[in-house]
Amino acid sequence: MDDATVVAVLITIVVFPIIMTPVILYSSKISEKLRNILAVATSAVVFLLTLSLYPTIARGGIVQHTLFEILPNLEISLRLDILSFSLAALASFIWFLCTVYSIDYMSKEHATSRYYPVLIFTLGSCQGIFFAGDLFSLFVFFELMSLIAYILVIHEETEEALKAGYKYLVMTIIGGLALFFGIIIIFELGGTVSLGVGSIIQESSVLAFLAFICFLIGFGMKAGMFPLHVWLPDAHPVAPSPASALLSGVMLKTGAYGLLRVIFNVFSPDLLKNSGWDNVLGVLAVITILLGSAVALTQTDIKRRLAYSSISQLGYVLLGLSVLNDNAVTGAVFHIFSHAFMKSTLFLAAGAIIWKTGIRNIADYKGIGRQMPVTMGCFSIAALAMIGIPPLNGFLSKWTLALGCLDAYMPFYVLILMISSLLNALYYLPILIPAFFELPAAKNGHQHNSHHDHDLKINIEEASPGMLSATIILALCTFFFGLTPNNIVFALSRLTSAFLMLGGSL
Amino acid sequence: MGFADHYPALIVVVLFIAAFLSPLLFRWVEKAAAPFLIAALGSALYMTVILLVEVQKSGPVLYHMGGWPPPWGIEFRVDPLRVFMLLIVISVSLWIFIYAVRDLKHELKKEVTGWYYTLYALLVGSMAGIALTNDLFNLFVLMEICAISACAIISIKEERECLEASFKYLILSAMGTGCFLLGVAMLYMATGYLNYSFLQLELAETLTLYPRNIFAAAALFIVAFGTKAALFPLHVWLPDAHASAPSPSSAMLSGLVIKIYAFALFLIFYQVFPRELLDLIPLNEIILWLASLGVMFGSIYAMLQTDLKKMLAYSSIGQIGYIFMGIGFDHNLALIGGFYHIMVHAVTKALLFMTAGIIIYSTGVRQIKDLAGIGRVLPLTMLAFTIGSASMIGIPGTGGLISKWYLSLSALEIGRPFFVLIILASSLLNAIYYMPIVINAFMHQEDFKTETKPVPRFMLGTLVAGMLFIVLAGIFSKPVVTLLEQGVASLF
Amino acid sequence: MDLLSGIINNYYYMVAIILFVIGMYTMLTHANMIKKVIAMNIMDTSVFLLFVAIGYTYGGQPPIIKEGSEAIYVNPLPGALILTGIVVAVSVTAYALSLIVKIYRYYGTCDYDEICEIRSQE
Repeated sequence: MDDATVVAVLITIVVFPIIMTPVILYSSKISEKLRNILAVATSAVVFLLTLSLYPTIARGGIVQHTLFEILPNLEISLRLDILSFSLAALASFIWFLCTVYSIDYMSKEHATSRYYPVLIFTLGSCQGIFFAGDLFSLFVFFELMSLIAYILVIHEETEEALKAGYKYLVMTIIGGLALFFGIIIIFELGGTVSLGVGSIIQESSVLAFLAFICFLIGFGMKAGMFPLHVWLPDAHPVAPSPASALLSGVMLKTGAYGLLRVIFNVFSPDLLKNSGWDNVLGVLAVITILLGSAVALTQTDIKRRLAYSSISQLGYVLLGLSVLNDNAVTGAVFHIFSHAFMKSTLFLAAGAIIWKTGIRNIADYKGIGRQMPVTMGCFSIAALAMIGIPPLNGFLSKWTLALGCLDAYMPFYVLILMISSLLNALYYLPILIPAFFELPAAKNGHQHNSHHDHDLKINIEEASPGMLSATIILALCTFFFGLTPNNIVFALSRLTSAFLMLGGSL
Repeated sequence: MGFADHYPALIVVVLFIAAFLSPLLFRWVEKAAAPFLIAALGSALYMTVILLVEVQKSGPVLYHMGGWPPPWGIEFRVDPLRVFMLLIVISVSLWIFIYAVRDLKHELKKEVTGWYYTLYALLVGSMAGIALTNDLFNLFVLMEICAISACAIISIKEERECLEASFKYLILSAMGTGCFLLGVAMLYMATGYLNYSFLQLELAETLTLYPRNIFAAAALFIVAFGTKAALFPLHVWLPDAHASAPSPSSAMLSGLVIKIYAFALFLIFYQVFPRELLDLIPLNEIILWLASLGVMFGSIYAMLQTDLKKMLAYSSIGQIGYIFMGIGFDHNLALIGGFYHIMVHAVTKALLFMTAGIIIYSTGVRQIKDLAGIGRVLPLTMLAFTIGSASMIGIPGTGGLISKWYLSLSALEIGRPFFVLIILASSLLNAIYYMPIVINAFMHQEDFKTETKPVPRFMLGTLVAGMLFIVLAGIFSKPVVTLLEQGVASLF
Repeated sequence: MDLLSGIINNYYYMVAIILFVIGMYTMLTHANMIKKVIAMNIMDTSVFLLFVAIGYTYGGQPPIIKEGSEAIYVNPLPGALILTGIVVAVSVTAYALSLIVKIYRYYGTCDYDEICEIRSQE
């Protein structure tokens, strides 16, 4: 594929979903089925187009193309390199599966004619973030995605949802303003905001540090970094489950992506290490990891517990970014992948349980493994991967991160990783074990006697095939992409890390 | 034909003639009155575009009234910034007028509609003149025409609030005019000239001979234009005036009238007063700090309002603060940002006031808390309100971001990042009072129960045009910025 | 001494400025609306006074050229300026007074403070 075709494909990937949004909006007036088919088809097309860019990446190509000049010296450009490709493919894959899942899940919900167009529009802006070639277009798509995702957050329109949505919106705007400040400072100091020119800021100064902090605020807020994570535990649970899966699985990663770009394409790893700014990131990462896990222990609502778990897991990515050597960055990028798979599986499984039985409280999860074995099975695989049990992908990413921390002579971080794994176990296992090994409360309130009723037949009432298949596929990804280090995702992470550490551009 | 040479004067003359013929037409052939004024505005727009092309090709155009050369005659000058302002004034007036034609039937008594057209044409003509004139006394006369017609288009509605607000505006405006006239007297005493170009040449040496005259004149000009352009703390007349006026008048006043005075202040400070004056008194600092206070306080007051139009009026105070900040930074990028904001805010605020007008026309609702769920019955109107609010907040993709970009960039260039914080904080405050209205309008869709009248398609069409412009201004800003760069380059 | 002699020599400027301040003060603080309009006129008239005073040249003749004479003339421009200014002030006064008539009809009082009371109670 030559460069011009690549650029055409990139533009299509970003623009096609945005164009399909009004089409889907109007198709819902014709028939629901048509709308559902169009939504799934759009996300499938986007995924396939993104995959088609793989050959260009495989031969090590980088495409940076300027579209037009919006202001003097400020150009809107597109960029395709291994990092963009990895995350865009991941995002579109999970989006496709969640759209398939939504068809069945949303059949019980209201206002679905608003949900699908917004879902597809957010997909388009998400791909726009990954394929943006300069900070300004990244900022534009970032804001667009965050603001339109608000509609997904408040979908239920309950009191709680509106409050959570308001908090989300205010923090998004604050983050956006901080990003604007950071970009303006970069433009002032460096004269350009393009991501294709290597490190824009060469020397540290008060203004450059201010820009770094602004980027931390802006992108860190999206990634759920302490202390800007306060919107996350409210916003992720109130959204419908497929939207929660996307929020936790993909949209958090856009914040991490932004930080990756800032660290590698705007500043450079050497600058960060020399001026000691990576310590700021390190401290925040450690606090995030511990805080997220600790508070997750106290939650009784399954989705809130998963949301706090997301906060803690993104902390791993930030930790890898603060250590800044080969293994650590590989671990961070691989963890982006693995957490996406794991958390999406968890949210989709939890959503299936809510859809089928209405159970959101963890205490009521007793025995549900017998009622919905496949769903709980997927949940268990993902939960075990979160804890970091080999041979799943969670273990692989923690191992790589730990190697990276040891390479940088920071065994303290390895200790943090281990404590966090322990905490993960402490809040996941109490969900898994009662689900399979205890019996549910009987319908008339009479507790079953486990001695006598070992052979009690509990009917298997699984979720619908559409929802199940999406969940199973993601669980299988969790499994297979961690089984051995010789899988494609890990290889992509290694290549990405190598690429970034060597300069990340040009 | 020699007409093209006379275009600068013809723009003003055509509008004044249309002003005087409108009531006659309205009396005799009622249906022709509005199209006649639209034709007059359209021809003025055409002449402006011709002037724009000519200025870009061959540089500033000087027009002498009656052939008398300055300093004896009155001079009109057309250079890139003035023609930019002229284009904004004429095109936005035309756009608001298309909206007004339908809206006025419902807001004014029938007999006075013809007189409204007169006042409207006088207002547009005088603003065009202010943008073009190169003579201080001509500026005085045109300012007074503008002031009277601006007050009159508020009081023409003849309700209690309108009359009191109009009187307050007139008195404070007259105070401003008195100060302005005294300032002109001071300058005339010291130099004997009234023409901007001649004054600029003379004032450089006069500053050393008669410094106190020049200081007094500068101070008086800031008070005069500050009062008329609602610079904090001289903004007290604005909320009542803009909120109680009929909606097209509000759109016109908030969108154009206050901007033209800010533009006149800019012209006087950059094209009349010498740069050495800034070394003696830091005038731009004063304007900068007052503007920053206005930006913050405008938003804070707006948050406390319950009436939709009052909230928009207080928001105008904040936004005009940005324009004054652009003037106050004393840097070419800031001027570009300030002028771009004049253009974007004129269209955005007019759009927001038109939306409010449509809401009042269709449902009679004026209180913000009663707007819950209105998105179901007036979707296009609320979409326009959403895009207008997005531009006010400065969301990327709308024109508001571009002007904030330039203002922030210039704040960093002169080494004062504190003002970037002010710009960002005010964006956040803007979001806090605009977003709840948008969210409430589209959620709670079952709650809106008031009867609605259907909205004429012309009015909706004007909204669509406004929305398109805001989005285009956010994406294709390069041509305008190039024009502004050209204009600003000659000042530094 | 210098200041005092300056003031005494330029007393017409001082009168104009004092009238200007009186007019502005009255316009802003007095409650009666008609007084405000009168004060506005005083303010504008004071500036016209200033203009005319500026135009005067010592020993000048009225600015009408006689054949063959080489006299110094008083500057005619300020006169033209204030004629325009007077017209403008008159039209603003007319508009303001008509507004007052209308306001009186609606509010029943010419006192601006009372009107604000009524407005705040609405």
